Amino acid sequence: MSSRIVALRMEHIDKSFAGIPVLKDVSFEIYKGEVHALMGENGAGKSTLIKILTGIYSKDNGRILLNGQEVKITSRTDAKRNGISVIYQELSLIPTLSVTQNILLGDEICKKGIVDGKAMRKRVMEIMDTYSLHVNPDAIVETLSIAQRQMVEILKALAFQSSVIIMDEPTSSLSTSETELLLKIIRSLSRQGVSILYISHRLEEVYEVSDRLTVLKDGVKVAVLEKEEIEPKKVIELMIGKGIDETVVEAEMRKSCQPVVLELKNLSKKDVFEDVSFSAHRGEVLGISGLVGSGRTELLRCIYGIDRLDNGQVIFEGQVMKSNVSHNIREGFGFVPEDRRKQGFVPMLSVCKNIALVSYDNIKRRGPFVAGKEEMSLSRQGIEKLDIRPNNPHLPVGNLSGGNQQKVVLGKWMVRDLKLLLIDEPTVGIDVGVKEELYKFIEALAAGGSTVLIVTSDLKELLRVSHRIIVMRKGKIFKEFNTGSVTQENVLEAASGIEKECAADE
Amino acid sequence: MSKMMAKGFAKKFAKPLILLAMVVVMSILQPKAFPTLNNFVSIVYAISLYGIMVCGAIYPMLLAGVDLSIGSVAAMSGCATVMTIIKYDYSGKGVFLGIAFGLLLCIIVGLVHGLIAANFNVPPFLITLASLNLVYGVAQLVTNFKTIGCVGPPIFSVIGVGRLWGLPAPVYILAFCTICSYLLLRHTVFGRQLYAVGGNKEAAALSGINVKLVTVIAYILSSVCAGIAGIVLASMNQQAVATSAKGYEADVLTAIVVGGTSLMGGEGSIQGALFGALLVGLLNNGLRLMSVPSTYHLLIKGICIIIAVAFDIRSKRSDDKKTEGKPLFKVKTSAGGMN
Amino acid sequence: MKQDTIRKFVSLGLLLILLVVFSLTSEYFLTPANIFTLLREASIIGIVSIGVTFCIITAGTDFSTGANVALVSMICANFLYYTGLPVFIVLLIGVLSGAAAGCVNGFLVARLRLPDFIATLSTQGVFRGLTFVFAIRSATGVISNKVITNPDFLLLNGDIGGLYYSTIAFFVLAVIGQLVLKRTKLGTYTYAVGADRKASEFSGINIGRVKIAAFLISGICSAVGGIFLFAKLGSAIPDLGIGLEFDVIAAVVVGGCAFSGGRGDVFGSVLGSVFLVVLVNGLYKLQMHVSYQLIIKGAIIILMTIFDSVYMDLMSKYSRGKSPRAGEAVSGGAQ
Repeated sequence: MSSRIVALRMEHIDKSFAGIPVLKDVSFEIYKGEVHALMGENGAGKSTLIKILTGIYSKDNGRILLNGQEVKITSRTDAKRNGISVIYQELSLIPTLSVTQNILLGDEICKKGIVDGKAMRKRVMEIMDTYSLHVNPDAIVETLSIAQRQMVEILKALAFQSSVIIMDEPTSSLSTSETELLLKIIRSLSRQGVSILYISHRLEEVYEVSDRLTVLKDGVKVAVLEKEEIEPKKVIELMIGKGIDETVVEAEMRKSCQPVVLELKNLSKKDVFEDVSFSAHRGEVLGISGLVGSGRTELLRCIYGIDRLDNGQVIFEGQVMKSNVSHNIREGFGFVPEDRRKQGFVPMLSVCKNIALVSYDNIKRRGPFVAGKEEMSLSRQGIEKLDIRPNNPHLPVGNLSGGNQQKVVLGKWMVRDLKLLLIDEPTVGIDVGVKEELYKFIEALAAGGSTVLIVTSDLKELLRVSHRIIVMRKGKIFKEFNTGSVTQENVLEAASGIEKECAADE
Repeated sequence: MSKMMAKGFAKKFAKPLILLAMVVVMSILQPKAFPTLNNFVSIVYAISLYGIMVCGAIYPMLLAGVDLSIGSVAAMSGCATVMTIIKYDYSGKGVFLGIAFGLLLCIIVGLVHGLIAANFNVPPFLITLASLNLVYGVAQLVTNFKTIGCVGPPIFSVIGVGRLWGLPAPVYILAFCTICSYLLLRHTVFGRQLYAVGGNKEAAALSGINVKLVTVIAYILSSVCAGIAGIVLASMNQQAVATSAKGYEADVLTAIVVGGTSLMGGEGSIQGALFGALLVGLLNNGLRLMSVPSTYHLLIKGICIIIAVAFDIRSKRSDDKKTEGKPLFKVKTSAGGMN
Repeated sequence: MKQDTIRKFVSLGLLLILLVVFSLTSEYFLTPANIFTLLREASIIGIVSIGVTFCIITAGTDFSTGANVALVSMICANFLYYTGLPVFIVLLIGVLSGAAAGCVNGFLVARLRLPDFIATLSTQGVFRGLTFVFAIRSATGVISNKVITNPDFLLLNGDIGGLYYSTIAFFVLAVIGQLVLKRTKLGTYTYAVGADRKASEFSGINIGRVKIAAFLISGICSAVGGIFLFAKLGSAIPDLGIGLEFDVIAAVVVGGCAFSGGRGDVFGSVLGSVFLVVLVNGLYKLQMHVSYQLIIKGAIIILMTIFDSVYMDLMSKYSRGKSPRAGEAVSGGAQ
């Protein structure tokens, strides 16, 4: 039960990046002791809002008020000092120190620099008792499980007397029992007057634990729902935007009549995904949907061969594929990774060299030497095909815009004889025009006989390009959409746990 | 001339201008000793040695690693070669076997460096520092601290002492190594892969590049070039001793860094590194002529490395500064960077 | 079991084996005189290694220790030779100059952001060069390794019932160092910065200050060790301490510190220093070729750091519970 005292208020927050507005006049408040869920699709602005609250981004406009007082937040430590803590997936604990040391890191109890270990332990125990949250205070953090580490993070936030704790996808790496424990803790914290801002796509959890819920869409706050008003379908509608001047986005699924080229049999990887089996046909675009933590990226990486499987077989055109990337590339595989900056291209190298990077077996001349002319013409092919701008092949890829960088990443595959292209979140941070171009390339690829597996959290995108859609949940295939029309709501419902286990329900 | 044109002009001609300036300054400071034929010859000899080592040591650095053991490896290979020659009674066969043996040892050392660097999370500076001492110890052990004289046979002496058209043989060996390295880096698949791994290891691995193989080859090349330099040195001095190339790694490292190779990998060229070698050679020569004792050299070189690296890091950091959201990322290519 | 605990056990075991082997093969080995001598040698490496331990725990290094030792000794020698200042003041000046050297290193790493190994390799050259600049020369300009005869200074070589002052100083400093590392805020932050730089930043720790502190401690330790070495030799030669940095790093590695940072402690480095000295002394008594020292030290460093890498890899694979998913654990979650 929450009070009606406002703990945190954000007023008229605006934020744009390079002229593109990401948050438009967002006003939003959390009450003391409330568990408040922040919902919205990818790209809706949730992450940006949080980063403004924790000082990583600066707002263009608006105010932040804590307990009625306006505050200026320019860094994460600023935010902490003001009572706002955030718990991300990548936890910020020091693995070689103890739980106690981590909880009070930066805030040690000491006399003239000498740490008072006993007093610190006592204080930590007090906090643990107050909030009924217990972890062995002397354990070294690197020996703890993820769930336990999360608790240490929470205790750390509580030690700093945070009035607002933001949790970003806290349950994506937790088992069911660990999740239940976490939700219990959250409820207990809220009873103690701590406000929790909860961001998650796992709608079943959100409904279980939230007092209120705010929905963001395209940078705008579209609704605030009270507990009684929270209803699964309604939330999804609000997130996806039906009924507000939007045409219903719907797609027809098409079962392919072409032969099967890719077969996945009982693929398993410990703690990541289990018993994944499906097949893909020639010329088909297979969309893979699911929430963060459902194992989609890992699955793709295992199919590509960069990560090892624990069990199962990947069979392509009748051949059992091994975990050998260069072999798979020769067989016609391609991979567009999730983080283009860290994994997709080499920033210091030119467009030409990046595009040619996987094709040297085709442009060799006399042994180990590279045929420079052919390399250049190959890259010009790529530049033309994908309309990379500026079209100078000598520019370092790091200097291009995000969209063009992604084109380079795609380009290095499209200048080859591609049979299977694996794509992971291709249009993150890319503007609409380029997005559309990329979709056309994917369609052209499929039309030309290649098979495409695309992992994406962007539901519009998923429906736009996919012939069939597979939804994963917690490491398993949950549902397959292969006939009839599918809406964004259908997919989100399947991915986020609204639909209970219902394989027979099709 | 617009500002941009002036900048481009400066970039293109900066290096030759600096060299020219140094030659002029030193001629002024030491008008009797510097601009003599003898002096130039000794400069040429020194630069040849650094240059040969630079041709190999650049590979690990392009991978954001480093090979600190090159001085010891050079000495080891020189000693091994000379001892084999003596064992085979100064025969031609002995020379071939000696050189082969010396280089084989280098390949083994480089292989070990590469395998460790590729498979374990151990910093390359530590591996090669330990190796520097280890190899040095082996060389001391085998030679028992003695200097091993080796005058002849002619096939061997020609390497270090011979001349063709007035230029000493080491220059030709340097030219050969430089051309090989240049071709390797700029025109082969391996070279492309090397820059890719140095520029973004993960992207390179995802592009099917065998990162481990590239690493191992890089360290082998480094040791082999050090070995070649060691053999040339032994031939030049007509003797081999465990301490023959002690401290060379400092000069070679300075040369490569000053020549535009980034410590963080992915950026650098042979031309730049050679320019650095020229610079270091001239600097050493000048300091010696001015009777500056050798340990001041360390002082000055230490400061040079600091300045060069500080600049490299500053230019990289100004790009990485906390820029928000999804903006354009500016990559600065320093003169000599590969594009 | 923790990585540094295992390594300490291994090193302790090896040390015991060495002690047994050497005492069996050489009857002079376990005599009190030899033990005290051994400890005295270990003290010099050991005192310096206390400081370097701090640097390595922050995931850095300090290669300038040998040169720093020489520089401090030379500065003290100058003051002792040319001025009549009381020895105590001269030693203080020495320690301060060691601290200053540490500050230079700290500045290069913390402000100019140079990588530790390049910065300290460069300052090694700079300090060594300065040692030559300050070398006491005869009238003709030749370096004369003047023997210092100041009796107050030579007191440093004294002993209590055989146990040298330097050994006492070593153990005292080791205890202080360990306490600082384990019981002070600075110590906690030192471990934090080495274990996870980013997380430390997020917790508001000033990384620059921690690095500078580590180098400062290293500089001071080099100074103290250098002074004892200088006293033992009697004159400050410019070549003093060449190769010391390698021995010190070997000692710290043998003591369990991992170069990845965040692990190890001063007591481990004490163990490592003793181990190293016993090894060298034993090899010498066994009349083995002196080069074996370098070979064995190099091999030990390589093998132990490989072990660290492998062990920590295995540890992270088998850590209890699920680990954050590779591809999807993006900081900030869904957009």
